[in-house]
Amino acid sequence: MLFSPRTSRLLMSAALALLPAAALAAPKVGEPAPAFTGVDAHGKTVTLSGLAGKTVVLEWMNDGCPYVVKWYRSGEMQKLQRDATTKGAVWLTVASSAPGEQGHVDGETALRQTADRNASPTHFVLDPKGTIGRAYGAQVTPHMYVIAPDGKLAYMGGIDSIASTDPADIPKAEPLARLAINEVLDGKPVTKPVTRAYGCSVKYAN
Amino acid sequence: MWILRDMKDEPDHELLTGVRMLGSPNHRVLTQTSPRRDVCVSAAVTAFTSWLTLLQEPMTRKTIPCLTMRATLIRLLLLLAVLTQSPASALESGAVVSARATVTMVSAQDAARAGDTVDLALHLRLAEGWHIYWMNPGDAGQPPRIELYAPAGSSVSDLRWPAPKRHVDGPVTTFIHEGDVLLPFSVTLPAGLDGPQTLTAKAGWLVCKDICIPEEGVFRLTLPAGVATRSAEALLFDAARDALPGMADWQAAVSADGVLTLSGPGADAIVEADLLPADWGLVEHGAAQTLTVADGSAALALQPGAAFDPARALSGVLHVRDRDGITRALWVATPGAATQRAPVVLLAGGDAPLPAPAGLAPAAAPVADGFGFAWAVLFALAGGLLLNLMPCVFPVLAIKALSFARLGGHAQRTVRAQSLAYCAGVVTTFLLLAGVLLALRSAGLQAGWGFQFQSPVFVTAMAALLFVIGLNLSGVFGFGSGFASAGDTLASRPGLSGSFFTGTLAVVVATPCTAPFMGGALAFALAAPAAQTVAVFVAMGVGLALPYALFAFVPGLARRMPRPGPWMDRLKQALAFPMYAAAAWLVWVLSQQSGADGVLMALVVLLLLALAGWLLGVAQSGASSAGAWRTGALLVALLAAVGIARAPEPAGTGPSAGIAAAASEPYAPARLSELRATGRPVFINMTAAWCVTCLVNEKVALSTTGVRQAFATRGITYMKGDWTRSDPLITDFLRQHGRDGVPLYVYFPPDGASPAVLPQILTEQIVLDRIGS
Repeated sequence: MLFSPRTSRLLMSAALALLPAAALAAPKVGEPAPAFTGVDAHGKTVTLSGLAGKTVVLEWMNDGCPYVVKWYRSGEMQKLQRDATTKGAVWLTVASSAPGEQGHVDGETALRQTADRNASPTHFVLDPKGTIGRAYGAQVTPHMYVIAPDGKLAYMGGIDSIASTDPADIPKAEPLARLAINEVLDGKPVTKPVTRAYGCSVKYAN
Repeated sequence: MWILRDMKDEPDHELLTGVRMLGSPNHRVLTQTSPRRDVCVSAAVTAFTSWLTLLQEPMTRKTIPCLTMRATLIRLLLLLAVLTQSPASALESGAVVSARATVTMVSAQDAARAGDTVDLALHLRLAEGWHIYWMNPGDAGQPPRIELYAPAGSSVSDLRWPAPKRHVDGPVTTFIHEGDVLLPFSVTLPAGLDGPQTLTAKAGWLVCKDICIPEEGVFRLTLPAGVATRSAEALLFDAARDALPGMADWQAAVSADGVLTLSGPGADAIVEADLLPADWGLVEHGAAQTLTVADGSAALALQPGAAFDPARALSGVLHVRDRDGITRALWVATPGAATQRAPVVLLAGGDAPLPAPAGLAPAAAPVADGFGFAWAVLFALAGGLLLNLMPCVFPVLAIKALSFARLGGHAQRTVRAQSLAYCAGVVTTFLLLAGVLLALRSAGLQAGWGFQFQSPVFVTAMAALLFVIGLNLSGVFGFGSGFASAGDTLASRPGLSGSFFTGTLAVVVATPCTAPFMGGALAFALAAPAAQTVAVFVAMGVGLALPYALFAFVPGLARRMPRPGPWMDRLKQALAFPMYAAAAWLVWVLSQQSGADGVLMALVVLLLLALAGWLLGVAQSGASSAGAWRTGALLVALLAAVGIARAPEPAGTGPSAGIAAAASEPYAPARLSELRATGRPVFINMTAAWCVTCLVNEKVALSTTGVRQAFATRGITYMKGDWTRSDPLITDFLRQHGRDGVPLYVYFPPDGASPAVLPQILTEQIVLDRIGS
């Protein structure tokens, strides 16, 4: 396909103008959650449209991040996963670390680590290019999102209210993600739909 | 040699060993460089070696000048420190040091009275590329937290934050501090206090580069009672005051759609503005901010965040550049209800137990703690006894076996005298070893069991000694003052000195081996008062000598030995080969330690010794002009001695080839704490090429397919520390785990539970059990 140099330049500047906006395209609560297609650790394709009618929980993961370690070592993340999935939610653990960065995993490693952690996400989604992460504006691990059965984003933010790496803070904190998941599963509006997410920055590809 | 160096120029904080000098205004630290220390160790070792070979010269005569020289140097440097000192005295706590940050607590004043308000600060010196977070960390991260333990009735101020920097990493924007960061706060002491005041802070900070590591520490400062003057650290507080954001003299207001308007003199001179909001959620951290300037005011369009509310105060640090190119960091705040922030500096509850400073405490409680003196002696005895079964002592046992064979048929009195002479040799050598170690330690040097094998001079000398004994056993030449016959051998000499010497030799060649029970006993010994140290070493000597002492006191034993006869000559010749084998092994150790040059030098030394042995043999066989042959032998032997003394120093710093393994990574304290912080299991193997026990363990346990697979499937990082050459970082690790020599095996479980120290003799099953496979 051929464009005149001028057209190319115009198209390019249009694309550049869109870039900062794209980088910050955080979805809005109450609006349809950004559609995505991803591949899980087994190599299976996972699409948001395929999960329509279900409560979907997204958890951003980097196994080397001390904030993630806090939640898995204490067993609290596993508990939350089991509680949510037994009530019918679909839990997607997403790793958006780029190759060579902390938290980057291939399918085999993801499965082994999931088994070692005794974790039970519905799917472990591999997002090494950060496409899904950027679409949701995921900034930290663990960043949490809840999508209601109607496909609208119902919660985005922190896993709880105390930003620390100390597992002893978990019982003291307000369990923001757990409250939001339960409210969506019960068909109620989420009391605190946007909260402060805390953790390590997501190690995106540059 | 000791040198003074400036902390600012020294990014590798890990290597910080030595004494903090109080009173030096620009934070100089007395540090030691390793090459020169090696020289001093090898001087001591050379002395030790020459004593061993000659058996007459007391080693102290040679080591003492070295120690005295060091003491004089230290005195000189301390004097220098006093001379360069500013009149104020320093108030800085012990440091918590990692590869990422060196952190202390400092005070701006040098004394305190009741009712004083004291300026304190957390002082973080961050390594290149690492950062900590501001009060609003931004999209990720976490600000530091300080918990202050102060006298009841004290009050504490907020932290006075320096102006942060915006850090953009793709879609993640954070607000950070880099480099040398001072976080000041004030504590007001209550009225009615008396005496010196101790202030303890427990702090935690998240330090990030590509990855994030939570670190923490406990810092303690004691302020003497009295009228305060500025401490040496007050200069830091002055500099920090300049880094605080200034107060903007503009009116600030924010509209419902997030436009921040600044009005007042000079507001229209702003050409660039960047607001770093003090609280989360009011403004999108990473969104573009558009500046519009009108007459007398400036408007900055911000993207409202999830928690934006125009009725609430919007505050933060505004980085501005004006028409004249002047940049400033200013604190701006709109009117409205203030956001409640959790305090960064907290007063710990009055009855909270005071934590111990963590900066000095080892990662794990040393095994030696609670290890009683009696137990140490018992363990030393058992360890010494078991040392007889370790492969290192085999060559010497060969000599011993020969002498016992020779004793068969002798009177019980002779047998007893010979056995006791051997025992005396063993115990005396252990005593001297204790003495050398204590002397090195009192000089502040790090040394442990088998440390002398870290010196190529010592290893070369040992190879030479074993080779010479081999030549002697082969019948090339004879020992003895009379040189009566060429067949006279060391071990068959009827004299008691022969037995004594064999005992000495047994100890020296035993040191590359560690027997079970020895680790704990040795660690206890070297931390204990001198008298107990000596007692433990003697116990170890007695243990090693015990089987032979039996010959002295059980009359029947010697009679059971076979009668001497011509078979002994052949046995003697055969026993030369374990000696050659031991020498060959030591040459391999040299190949690991100082490379091809070291091997070449050792082989030249062995060649010269073979020549000297032959020349001496000719003289002893009654050749004419025996004197000339003997002089020739002496000259060649002297040449060999020169060769030993000039053995090349250790080459390189990487792990030696015999130690490096594909599936392992070299030990680095920073990497270990990083892995630990992220909850990953780590298996540490502290080893050395000269450590026979270590090499055997690696062969039979650690290199097996079962263990390697278990490491891989359980995601265990396998780290090896190579102590073939001296390495203060490894010595530190050994001492933290209550050990004084290699091998040391430590497993750090994934769940952050306390590390487990494995036995010194490993089997595959022990390793698998311990890692829970």
